Amino acid sequence: MSTVPHSKKRVCYYYDSDIGNYYYGQGHPMKPHRIRMTHNLLLNYGLYRKMEIYRPHKATQDEMTKFHSDEYIRFLRSIRPDNMNEYSKQMQRFNVGEDCPVFDGLYEFCQLSAGGSVASAVKLNKQAAEICINWGGGLHHAKKSEASGFCYVNDIVLGILELLKYHQRVLYIDIDVHHGDGVEEAFFTTDRVMTASFHKYGEYFPGTGDLRDIGAGKGKYYAVNVPLRDGMDDESYESIFVPIMTKVMETFQPSAVILQCGADSLTGDRLGCFNLTVKGHGKCVEFVKKYNLPFMVLGGGGYTIRNVSRCWTYETSVALGVEIANELPYNDYFEYFGPDFKLHISPSNMTNLNTTDYLDKVKSRLFENLRMLPHAPGVQVQPIPEDGIKMDIDDQDGAVEDDDNKDERLPQSIKDKRIMGDNEFSDSEDEGPQGDGRKNRESFKNPRKKQKTDGKAEIDGVKEEKNSSEEKTSETSNQTEKKEENGTATKKEESNEPLTCET
Amino acid sequence: MANNNSTHNKMYSESTYRVGDYVYFETSSSSPYQIRRIEELNKTPSGNVEAKVMCFYRRRDLPTPLVQLADKHQMATAEDSDSPVAMKLKKMWLKTPVSEEQAAQAVLDPAIDKVFSEAEENTSALEEEQRNNANSNGTDKSELSNKQKHQMKHRELFLSRQVETLPATHIRGKCSVTLLNEEESLLSYLNKDDTFFYCLVFDPTQKTLLADKGEIRVGSRYQTELQHLLKDDETDGRKIEELETLIWTPHHSLTDRKIDQFLVVSRSVGTFARALDCSSSVKQPSLHMSAAAASRDITLFHAMDTLHKHNYSIETAMCSLVPSSGPVLCRDEMEEWSASEANLFEEALDKYGKDFNDIRNDFLPWKTLKNIVEYYYMWKTTDRYVQQKRVKAVEAESKLKQVYIPNYTKPSPALITNNSKNNLLNGTANGNNDILALTGNKPCESCSSSSSANWYTWGPSHLTCRLCQTCWNYWKKYGGLKTAASRLAENDVEALKKRPVETLEDEEKVTQAHRQSSNKCTYVNCGKEFKLKAHLARHYAQAHGIAIRSNSPRPIMKTRSAFYLQTTVTTKLSRKLCRHVIKSKKAARQPSYAVSLTAVKNEFAIAITKVNITDIKSFLKYKKKDRGSVTLIANRLGNPATTGCEWLKLTPKDMMPKPEKVAFPKPPKGPDGSLIYERIPNKATPEPEKFVIPNTIGCTIITPSNIGMPQSLPNLPASVTATPISAPLPPSGKRRAYELNGLDPAVAPPPTKRPNKDPMPSFRPSPEQYAAMIEAAQAAGQPLPRTHMNGKPKIAQMSRSGSGRKQVISWMDAPDDYYFRPTENNKRSRRNLSVTELRRLARRPWRKTSVNNNFSNNTSTPEGPQVVILD
Ligand SMILES: [Zn+2]
Ligand SMILES: [Zn+2]
Ligand SMILES: [Zn+2]
Repeated sequence: MSTVPHSKKRVCYYYDSDIGNYYYGQGHPMKPHRIRMTHNLLLNYGLYRKMEIYRPHKATQDEMTKFHSDEYIRFLRSIRPDNMNEYSKQMQRFNVGEDCPVFDGLYEFCQLSAGGSVASAVKLNKQAAEICINWGGGLHHAKKSEASGFCYVNDIVLGILELLKYHQRVLYIDIDVHHGDGVEEAFFTTDRVMTASFHKYGEYFPGTGDLRDIGAGKGKYYAVNVPLRDGMDDESYESIFVPIMTKVMETFQPSAVILQCGADSLTGDRLGCFNLTVKGHGKCVEFVKKYNLPFMVLGGGGYTIRNVSRCWTYETSVALGVEIANELPYNDYFEYFGPDFKLHISPSNMTNLNTTDYLDKVKSRLFENLRMLPHAPGVQVQPIPEDGIKMDIDDQDGAVEDDDNKDERLPQSIKDKRIMGDNEFSDSEDEGPQGDGRKNRESFKNPRKKQKTDGKAEIDGVKEEKNSSEEKTSETSNQTEKKEENGTATKKEESNEPLTCET
Repeated sequence: MANNNSTHNKMYSESTYRVGDYVYFETSSSSPYQIRRIEELNKTPSGNVEAKVMCFYRRRDLPTPLVQLADKHQMATAEDSDSPVAMKLKKMWLKTPVSEEQAAQAVLDPAIDKVFSEAEENTSALEEEQRNNANSNGTDKSELSNKQKHQMKHRELFLSRQVETLPATHIRGKCSVTLLNEEESLLSYLNKDDTFFYCLVFDPTQKTLLADKGEIRVGSRYQTELQHLLKDDETDGRKIEELETLIWTPHHSLTDRKIDQFLVVSRSVGTFARALDCSSSVKQPSLHMSAAAASRDITLFHAMDTLHKHNYSIETAMCSLVPSSGPVLCRDEMEEWSASEANLFEEALDKYGKDFNDIRNDFLPWKTLKNIVEYYYMWKTTDRYVQQKRVKAVEAESKLKQVYIPNYTKPSPALITNNSKNNLLNGTANGNNDILALTGNKPCESCSSSSSANWYTWGPSHLTCRLCQTCWNYWKKYGGLKTAASRLAENDVEALKKRPVETLEDEEKVTQAHRQSSNKCTYVNCGKEFKLKAHLARHYAQAHGIAIRSNSPRPIMKTRSAFYLQTTVTTKLSRKLCRHVIKSKKAARQPSYAVSLTAVKNEFAIAITKVNITDIKSFLKYKKKDRGSVTLIANRLGNPATTGCEWLKLTPKDMMPKPEKVAFPKPPKGPDGSLIYERIPNKATPEPEKFVIPNTIGCTIITPSNIGMPQSLPNLPASVTATPISAPLPPSGKRRAYELNGLDPAVAPPPTKRPNKDPMPSFRPSPEQYAAMIEAAQAAGQPLPRTHMNGKPKIAQMSRSGSGRKQVISWMDAPDDYYFRPTENNKRSRRNLSVTELRRLARRPWRKTSVNNNFSNNTSTPEGPQVVILD
């Protein structure tokens, strides 16, 4: 027990024992209690003891205003159920009152949720963890100056902003049944964050997430929206998630990933309309985990709470790489899981309105969009300086220059796309999505490994844990080279100089 | 056979309609089906099934200007979405509904018209391409394209947020409606039966069209300021220690087994601590219950925290569980609450629902909101809740998940019967026979075919048109004729279309009255106002979960509207002045008694002249009659004794006849006047050794009498029976040891946050003693692992009730007041009684029976069964 096996990840888990006692109000479907139910399951499954457990700090106003407007946060801080009447104007303005009610401890609740995600991001930045889990986070609808869809403070945006300090490109994936509009909007015009959301679209909250919404300005093509219809089952979900995310990983080449695991996409959700099982949902975690990138796993929606806690417990076990029994262990909330008291759930017999034809059409359109991306924008493969933990070097001025260069770069990349594209597509057709995924997983392990080992050198705490570090460091230089080859390989013989346009 | 079965199953599933299905509804035999989405299926008291459905409108149901605009929209969607044309049209709809007037304007707008013609061109280009791809079936290419264009219009629907209720028996089959995705070709809908699409939302009351699409906004007010990548020499100034506190780490030297063992130990300590704690021992009268309470997650979390705090040293962690102040006791809300608090909570829940703030204010002010919320979620695991839920489940039975409706086989009234035998059946009411005479052998109005198994009358009767079977089916499903070629098609559709629109208008007139109250939410304590009715509807749906008919601001659930009578000044005055004409008391008793208004008027005219203005003012002033408190009245109503009859007065308690036998005698009183309760042994073992409790600090502290612990320990029976000398019940029913021994003199009602470590000062076992006790407890076999789940030992008594449901015995379900613990003797004597005797006995416990001696004697002796009063 003293050392975690090498295949296992260093997992940090954020939880505050108060979180379950925040109460949105009578009849409100959002129940923070589900996070506590998950926590108790984790304890009794014996998963608790396999992770680092942290109580997050309460995010400060300063931290929150990194994204949110000052007045909005000030408002959240001062509003209480007993002074609501004095704030009716602001409540309307900040969309607080209906979906997002004022409840006791509202601000604290936001602080804990955001605190967990920010701490997770810092943890990943310091390379003190490979996977960070915060089931209290993932509140993806919150806007800069507006609450929305049960979300007040967008912990995801705050987490991404923190990651951006050390990561040139961050990928955000959203498997909540609702569109991740808050995160998409926050990063709509940047190419450093790609948002990919899989959601029900059409006559459904929040109404955004059309296939044609692809980002704007510099961020054009950096928003990926997968509009889906009622009844998505495990098979259909995988059939679209895997190929699209494989392609995204390949073209965007993020150095850190955030996965919002909204559990309202599960079958039988009180507000959802998909038909996923816990296993199918968990496959997304499994998929991302395989890329070995710094990985943040967040909660989100989920309104049939027994299934939410089942799902997040299972996903924690996936993150840990531990198998757990289907029989649920006894715990304080055992009776919630009747009548079967099992971990896994079965899909319902609801009709799947997502025909293969429809999904194929969506997929090919998204592929087309992804082909518009300059291959691995701003990618710089160079050894990390000894004293820095950072992966890539760039600065704001550089970014501005980047912008100017973009126009020149774009045609180039389109050219690449034309040359490369055919290849790639025939590839994926031969091997099928599975094979495609495997291939890419391979090529993505490398940058991460390099980063990990390099970073480890400076962080004392990590050292003892990785015994084979020497071995790996020697490997690293090879991989760095290999990676460089990969980078240029995209350009094929056409140009051999490495990515001139980048700096 | 198997084949038959599978086809049967298929039929069955095809005719089974579930919530969420899109279906055809037949509301009139001559008009096309209506397309609806099932939102709810409800069983009515009469046994019928009603479907609450969401309405989709066909193009033919829209006002003309909107139809034209919708046409243009469709053209634009059919074409590349990034073109300026599409963008322009998209802008028009986005978020702002386009009303009928605007639509009419837009149709005339030359700019849009230009857009329209461009779109038209593009569409035909697109179709050209499609035509080339599709295998032509020999017909003229352009004709095919036109035909497709024509039929496409039948496949477009307009979503409305209107909800209506229809009898489920009017369902005529399933269809599918999906939001059109630009990537899909419209042809894919045409090629598949019963498939429809929609792009726009139609509001039948506002007569508007709207593309219901959210928008990602662009601008500095919406996007985040971007964090730049740190340079080499830059630091983010983040100190990870400030952001988190480590609670547990997997990097330690303990094995899984060691941790498990430690968990068992801490549960054992918890069990023991409960045995020592008087308030716990009252609540959990058996070791089983104490063990179960000690196995709740709070104890485990505390154990893990303890391990972490003691650097994963089992030894020091263990010692910390038994500090000098006594074994550590962790209690969660579930255990913290007394039975009376639990009862209060349930009562409050009944009254207020889950409004925990109100519950706290009015019922449990000494609890914090967090206490209540935590308790609530735990309370839900108890059988009390489960029972409530069962009651609710019965209530909810009227809500169905699916309904089976066999295929409708009755012939349509529009069917033209050539068979004269059927004339009688069909009747002449619909005039089909006249039409038959007129139509003769007219070809099908749609396809011009002249042979068909069945013919149906179609269109206004004076035109005497008929449709063949296929065209009739098409008409019913898609609301149009297959080809646009029919000489009648347009007029006819118009003529038929008129009807629904007219009814709509009628309905609207009715709602005009409601509308003047603006679009204000009628929900209690909400009262939000909205510009548009549609917004109000959405508010209802989102904020209160209520679906409304969009033509009425009232929630659909409310069937009867409340009204109140507003009395005018004259009316009020006349009640005073014309009292003898109105006879209000008589009228109140006899609602049918007619008051002559003219008489009142005459009387009033005379009377009003006789009173001065101050009198009038005083008449109008509302004077509250003092009738005393409602409670008093209610009491009086139920208690005729107050009328004064001597014989009705209650007999004073001391005058009451004494019963021969006291079935449940009160326990003796202690020196301080409190009742002394006896404890029951856990098992029907021979009378266990008793502990004498020295009342050291004037409170109840349970200490083993034979303090020579190590020696006496092996004798410690599985059922530790301790008889407290005095257990003064605190008034609130809440009592902690620390409240008494002065460690916590300020007994503030809101209990301290968990974990609650109650010290037990007077009993201080040495670590060795402690270990021995644990061992003894284990040897006794009781609290330790019974159910192994995932290899983790867990103490929980699982039983299965009749329904096979797993149950865990909880102190929550322990009886609230008395229970009787029979001895073997009792049990034996019971067996000698007949069922009737037993029943009689149960009703009249004082009665003598053949075995009664045995019975009554036992109740009074300490060795016999014991009566325990809980809380
Ligand atoms: Zn959601
Ligand atoms: Zn025909
Ligand atoms: Zn309201």
